[in-house]
Amino acid sequence: MDRTVNDKMRHMNITKAGYHGILLPDLNIGFDYSGTGTQHTFISHAHADHMPRSQSSSVYCTPNTYKLMKRRGFNGEAITLDFGEPLETDEARITLYPAGHILGSAMVFVESDEGSVLYTGDYRTPPSPASEGFEIPEQADHFITEATFGLPIYKWDSHDKLSQEVRDFASQTLANDYTPVFLAYNLGKAQEVMHMLAPLGHPVQIHGAGYKMCDVYEQAGIDLGNYDSYNRETCEGNILITTTSAINNGFASNVSKKRIAYCSGWATREASRTQLTAHKLIPLSDHLDFFELIRLCQELDPEMVHITHTPNADVVRHYLDQRDINSTFLDMEVEEDD
Amino acid sequence: MSDKFQQLAETAQQINETRSTNSKITICADYFSAIGKDEDLNRAAQFLGEGAFSSVSGKRASVGSRTYSTCAAEFCEIDYEKVFKPCKTALGSSSEAIEQLMNNIEVACQKREPAQLSLEKIEETYQQLYRASGRADKQEILRETWKQMTPVEIKYFIRIMTQGSLRIGFETRSVVSAIAEAFDKEVDDVRYAHMITGSVGRTAVLCKNDNLDKASFNLFHPLSFMLASPIENRAVEDLDEYVAEEKFDGMRAQAHISGQQVELYSRELNEITHSFPEIQQFFLKRDLPNLVLDGEICVYKEDEILPFQLLQKRMGRKKPSKEIIEKYPVLFVSYDLLYHDDRPIFDHTLSKRRELLVELSQQHSLPITNQFEVSDHDHVDELFERALAHGNEGLMLKKKGSTYEYGQRRKSWLKVKKPGGTLDTILMYAHAGSGKRGGYYSDFTLGISVKEDERYEEEFIPIGKAYGGYTDEEMKRLNERIKDLTVEKYGPTLGLIPEIVIELEFDDIQVNKRTKANYTLRLPRFKAIRWDLGPKDTDTLKDVERMYQEKIDRDRLKQKENPSFVFHQ
Repeated sequence: MDRTVNDKMRHMNITKAGYHGILLPDLNIGFDYSGTGTQHTFISHAHADHMPRSQSSSVYCTPNTYKLMKRRGFNGEAITLDFGEPLETDEARITLYPAGHILGSAMVFVESDEGSVLYTGDYRTPPSPASEGFEIPEQADHFITEATFGLPIYKWDSHDKLSQEVRDFASQTLANDYTPVFLAYNLGKAQEVMHMLAPLGHPVQIHGAGYKMCDVYEQAGIDLGNYDSYNRETCEGNILITTTSAINNGFASNVSKKRIAYCSGWATREASRTQLTAHKLIPLSDHLDFFELIRLCQELDPEMVHITHTPNADVVRHYLDQRDINSTFLDMEVEEDD
Repeated sequence: MSDKFQQLAETAQQINETRSTNSKITICADYFSAIGKDEDLNRAAQFLGEGAFSSVSGKRASVGSRTYSTCAAEFCEIDYEKVFKPCKTALGSSSEAIEQLMNNIEVACQKREPAQLSLEKIEETYQQLYRASGRADKQEILRETWKQMTPVEIKYFIRIMTQGSLRIGFETRSVVSAIAEAFDKEVDDVRYAHMITGSVGRTAVLCKNDNLDKASFNLFHPLSFMLASPIENRAVEDLDEYVAEEKFDGMRAQAHISGQQVELYSRELNEITHSFPEIQQFFLKRDLPNLVLDGEICVYKEDEILPFQLLQKRMGRKKPSKEIIEKYPVLFVSYDLLYHDDRPIFDHTLSKRRELLVELSQQHSLPITNQFEVSDHDHVDELFERALAHGNEGLMLKKKGSTYEYGQRRKSWLKVKKPGGTLDTILMYAHAGSGKRGGYYSDFTLGISVKEDERYEEEFIPIGKAYGGYTDEEMKRLNERIKDLTVEKYGPTLGLIPEIVIELEFDDIQVNKRTKANYTLRLPRFKAIRWDLGPKDTDTLKDVERMYQEKIDRDRLKQKENPSFVFHQ
């Protein structure tokens, strides 16, 4: 009952900043925000659609995210915050929690007189083994969550099963004298696939854009196995890792005997087989699935779930309504195919 | 095990997951050759190659997408509108959505207890669905069957039931090749047997038992139609080897006639006799020998061939009323003869077949197309203009020395057509391409304006989907621009801010009550991307309605002089 009384006095202002970023204007806080009108901007992780677009921004992020952003061309300044190490501002206390999405990915927890907010950025639970794990505060008044895979057609197999699928595809392809190629986003997914393949001990070549991220992972203690940068002349017979865009632009086009596996949550869609001329679809996502999302909302039981990053907010809201959880849709953003 | 439906579903799935056509054929051939009983081989080949029923049986399970989709939503205990539909949109396929939901949703898993149903049992189920009349009865059958199936079985059960493509990159043609490989026979012989028996299942059994030579052409089993190629792709040098006929604005059909029996088949090989009782009567009155005719059904009234749009009022009607028959009387105009003197004659040359057809036409007073020798391109143009003046679609050029190439689209028949018209439309949605066009948005939904139309609340509504007519350069530029205009993403589809205007060319406008606009365009394609125009310049639904009406009302040249067809009455 206390909470209801408090509700009437407290008000948390949450707004969408155009197509990129979310603001808590009263607390002077921005999440994955590219503008300059806020004092404290937090970057959840180093994927392009979350990184600051302006080079001169000054932002807060985890040390690993900062390293990865620099590898991807960010020249601005960042103040690094470790997980669980709170930042106190005049208006609030902010703590980063590991998001399980990619290395360095963080959720931002804000506590203030107006209540608390948990902003997820992109996240995955159970977490990617090539990340710092997943941890969540016990309670949050406002839960700002992505819902990239916000439909019940999306349900992931266990990590062990997917991991076995990845290794089996590689081994069987090599045994048939073909070169296996994994299509995986160059930051996060690529390294997770390498981590899965490491026990095979077979040499891996990864596309240059992903290669330059790898040592950050190794410094974080994640085993990426025996790998090198992609070399067109020597790639045949290695396990290859590249992106969907590179495979259409001549990557390993000199190797005629190759088999392609597409690793993405979108690989659930049968149509991606022909679109990408993939032999194998492995629905390995760095986001949580629909059922995990609904379960998490139930566990957290916030006053309000604010949904973002999905064309299917209505479906998520329908499920939350059935569970008596208040929800709202924070405008829309188009997700990069990662 | 070889008689279980689960194995057929797994084989289909394995074919789907294999890229090379030869490997797909081998997987299917291995499956066929492991099947023990003839009856099961017949069923398996039938299901993979044609669907629940043979195309010539005239039988259908008649379970619409809404019927099985709402049934699946209920089975999974999810809301059809709020949950099922977005899932279907994201995957672009109801049956794929059902497979995933059956897999993912716990209550659905609890209801299902896979029972390894046999092919025979599945065949019976399709028969039950055919006999059941109401939606509720059909849904009851679906529910009971699904309870005993795995998700992958359910997916293929639905795809086979709807007689559509299995969407595994493996069409009837490949199934025929797999039959040949399984039983070590020449593909051409198997294809011939399939063509004249009209049944993949029977062909497989003949093949297995070394009885291919016993395949015989049977009247009342329609033959796949010979098709024409557009002339622009096939420049004609040897014009004197061709004859010309007007291309009718009607419906292609095949007539099988024997004694007191007359049946008509559509291009999709469906039996359509009941829609056109006067054609049946017309043939019966003429005391004809056993025949198979290829020709066109047209609305013909007061010496005029009337447009296809009016013929549509007769199509798909099980029992047309007397009033409708009087208002839109139809005539079957023949242009080819495939069976004569009690044997198939598709291996005769066109000239020879024509000779026999002319003879029949004179003896029995059958309307046949007028055929013209062509001398040069000017002559072709002249004939083309006259065909259009008759209200016809254009001209057909047919090679005199060609055989009847059933089921094929080659250079022996060429069509010369004129675009029906153009519209300035707005780009509403972009769809991800597949195959060669993978990685690009290559298919586009185009809309027309209904902003000032009191019947609609939207600004634009779709009028057609186009996936050609642009250059690679234009497609790339379009893809660049689309990035900035995207406001929504539904799986492979992008919703766009209406800004890009496309000049769309099409062959014809047809009424289609199932679309929001009530009209669809035939063969819409890009004519130009109008970077110079904006959303305000888009044509309106009223423009479409006007164009449709003009086409119906236009003056037509009577059939008295230079007629399109000859009819010795």
